[in-house]
Amino acid sequence: MSLALIGVTGILALLFILFFLGMPVGFSMAIVGFAGFCHVISIQAGMNMAGSVFWDVCSKYGLTVIPLFVFMGQIAFYSGVNERLYKSAHTWVGHIRGGLAMATVMACSAFAAICGSNTATAATMSTVALPEMKKYGYAPGLSTGAIACGSTLGVVIPPSVVLIIIGLATEQSIARLFYGGIGAGVLLTLLLTLSISVICRMRPEWGPVVAKRSLKDRINSLSGGAEMLILFLLIMAGLYSGFFTPAEAGAAGSFFALVISLVRRTLSLENFIKAVKDTLRISCMVIMLVAGAMIFGRFLAITRIPFDLADIVAGLHLPDWGIMLIISLIYIAGGAIMDALALLLITIPIFFPLAVQMGYDPVWFAVTITVITTLGAVTPPVGATTFVVAGVASDVPMTEVFKGVTLFLPAYLVTIALLILFPGIVTWLPGLLQ
Amino acid sequence: MTDLFKKFTRIQLAMAGCALIMMICLTCANILLRQFGMPVRGTFEVMGFMGALIFALSFGYSHEKKEHIYVSILFDRFPPKVQRAARRINSLLTIVFFALLSFQLVKNALNLKAVEEVSETLRIAYYPVILVLAFGAAYLVLLIILELFKPSGDPS
Repeated sequence: MSLALIGVTGILALLFILFFLGMPVGFSMAIVGFAGFCHVISIQAGMNMAGSVFWDVCSKYGLTVIPLFVFMGQIAFYSGVNERLYKSAHTWVGHIRGGLAMATVMACSAFAAICGSNTATAATMSTVALPEMKKYGYAPGLSTGAIACGSTLGVVIPPSVVLIIIGLATEQSIARLFYGGIGAGVLLTLLLTLSISVICRMRPEWGPVVAKRSLKDRINSLSGGAEMLILFLLIMAGLYSGFFTPAEAGAAGSFFALVISLVRRTLSLENFIKAVKDTLRISCMVIMLVAGAMIFGRFLAITRIPFDLADIVAGLHLPDWGIMLIISLIYIAGGAIMDALALLLITIPIFFPLAVQMGYDPVWFAVTITVITTLGAVTPPVGATTFVVAGVASDVPMTEVFKGVTLFLPAYLVTIALLILFPGIVTWLPGLLQ
Repeated sequence: MTDLFKKFTRIQLAMAGCALIMMICLTCANILLRQFGMPVRGTFEVMGFMGALIFALSFGYSHEKKEHIYVSILFDRFPPKVQRAARRINSLLTIVFFALLSFQLVKNALNLKAVEEVSETLRIAYYPVILVLAFGAAYLVLLIILELFKPSGDPS
């Protein structure tokens, strides 16, 4: 059996285990990678490889960034930052037609600047924003769709766990990826907001106006989440200037988030313990995925599948945009059936070398595929954030939530098209990095 | 028996939580003292070791909470009997892998102990951290075995 055939068999075995045995993605990748490595080289070599990869991943200084940033997000989450951010955005744009839905997207975007989890954002924004939009007679589809789609900004706007993992898996600078994510995140936020404006122009009854608030109220509302946004700016500035390593930025961010929450008295001991528990649970899940992906990646590397694939694609003589279109379609389809992080970790060892060989900017490629996979977080059948929103909005049928999400799909597609046509949206800021 | 393991998992979780807070404090102290030309020596090294401890001590809790990412699109459509059979196969594969991994980690740790390997900066023996990681993997195996012997035999 040739190495390439063994590699293909390994990929098929992985898919079989994932889909038919219901095994966790991280475990599946580790087991298939380990078995494949043992088959190609030897059992002892496979055991040595698995042991050393597992130790390297768990003890790598660079990977300590995961629990630290997750903890910062959890502290912000449990201290009710998103509620304050929403109230602030509500006060500023509530009087515009569809303004409450716009405020939701903006609050999601601002919260994403602290928290890298889209499901956490979806859960809390649903609790905070849905009753308000219901009170003012917003169409359920529009309100739930805005929350589900706004929540996906969590993985695009830094600090994003997904971008951290891509950075570690592809040995790229996490700071550069974070800066690349800003352009894409702002663009997506603007287009989601623009979608609400267009929808409410066509269907004014879907997003009624709310009374305009005084300037004093507006300025007062800024204190609600301003300190967390200052925290975000401090982290980004620290990374920009090289003052912090990403892990230090995570630790300092956690420390200041904790101090802010204690000073404002918004974090109880019970919620602090919950934040610690959630951080450990999520970090452990992520590290298992990374370890599994590394083991699987080692197996793929010895089968030379990524390099063979790159040669095949190069032999097709397709234009660059054509190849990117194919890759995008694969990610859109994959994102619809699999979690974004898992999909990225499985496919990066295959597509990343190809993208680099094709001459794509690595930061641009990583950010673009992250945006593409976020689409999967709102589309059926997986659509994790949509399910979270539908779970909270118990009086809104699931089909209505998915219909609401459909209203925002053009915004995603335009964002992806713009990122492909104008890579500078992503690469400009990282290019300024020292 | 299960309650005992739950308590044990909580103890590990508390230790991991303390390590997380210590990591934050250590890094912040290093950032601060660095400004005065007195960085905390070996911070990066200790952070790596603490990271390993955090992950090793959280395996049990993460497994208990079923935090891991699954692809359930097809699996959920299978009849319960098929799901149960698939879960058993999957548990057996996981047990074999993590048992081998744990064994290998113990072997690696003992090798490092034998050659008196120490860390680069602080010059401390770090094989105990590898042993904790091996323990984490072994504990995961133990939890999965316990699930297999539950009356329902259903680890979901």
